[in-house]
Amino acid sequence: MPILEHSFEENVLTTKVDWLINWARLSSIWPMTFGLACCAIEMMAVGAAHHDIDRFGAGAFRASPRQADLMIVAGTVNFKMAERVKRLYDQMPSPKYVIAMGACATGGGPYYKFGYTVVKGVDRVVPVDVYIAGCPPRPEALLEGLMKLQEKIRRSSVIRKPARTA
Amino acid sequence: MDFQGIHDRLKAIRAPGLAGADEPRKPDPKDKKDKGRAGDSFVLVDPERLPEFLEVCRDDERLRFELLVDLSATDPSKDDPNLWIDLALLSVKFRHRLAVKALVPKAKPELPSSVPVHRAAQWHERECAEMFGLVFRGHPDPRHILLPDDWIGYPMRKDYEFPKEYHGISCE
Repeated sequence: MPILEHSFEENVLTTKVDWLINWARLSSIWPMTFGLACCAIEMMAVGAAHHDIDRFGAGAFRASPRQADLMIVAGTVNFKMAERVKRLYDQMPSPKYVIAMGACATGGGPYYKFGYTVVKGVDRVVPVDVYIAGCPPRPEALLEGLMKLQEKIRRSSVIRKPARTA
Repeated sequence: MDFQGIHDRLKAIRAPGLAGADEPRKPDPKDKKDKGRAGDSFVLVDPERLPEFLEVCRDDERLRFELLVDLSATDPSKDDPNLWIDLALLSVKFRHRLAVKALVPKAKPELPSSVPVHRAAQWHERECAEMFGLVFRGHPDPRHILLPDDWIGYPMRKDYEFPKEYHGISCE
């Protein structure tokens, strides 16, 4: 396993453990099967062969929040759904991450003014790590959002816990 | 049958609650302010007798409106004292359609439920009830259908005020 070769020989153990754990986490971000509106169709396209989210190790869409690391909020969140979103988020095991995909999940989108049941941004319900612009975003945009999340995980540390992933 | 034929038939069988009819017309060329009326021809019905009217339309052998295509409501403006109930009927047998309207006063927005005649009306009436504050007397299952159970106000009313917060989630 060349990637671990020499890693434990230099006695800088804490950083190396961080590196190892981060590498394991960011290479297997399992998302939850969870689509709310038209963005979910783009998310399915990302999961399919052409864009292939499996290249990033994030292709295992789990049918249960208890097996998932990532919640992609793909679509419009209304008040009736917001409580369910919160509950699903609470059911996910730590460390857990949220991507707000598209204009609706980011800030209400086209329903900002007259959508009387639409939550104006899913960050009012759960903490969001990455926002993706677009209505709906291109599949490439979701992939870039995933890469941004991987960068964020790469910067995190198990020794000095950042507040978000605690 | 065309609209005139249906209206004549309704008059001939003395359909209960029938209160008139309205057809679209072109604007009067002499009167510049007259804009005419677009849209479909419809018959106007007394809302208190709407289920009886639908039953007669369904069972008459020349009409046979056995399918309730739609039941919805409209709030035309803040100043209008009435809500409009809009229905669309279809006869699969004779392939003719009819638009039915009924005026319900906003002061007392009540009318009998049409579910005993058309079971398809159940969900439509539930939606009208939560969106416009209409009360359908005798509805078998008068719960909310789309909105949360504790929702305040009737969103499709023209005088609706948007909520400030819902269960601690700010709406500003």
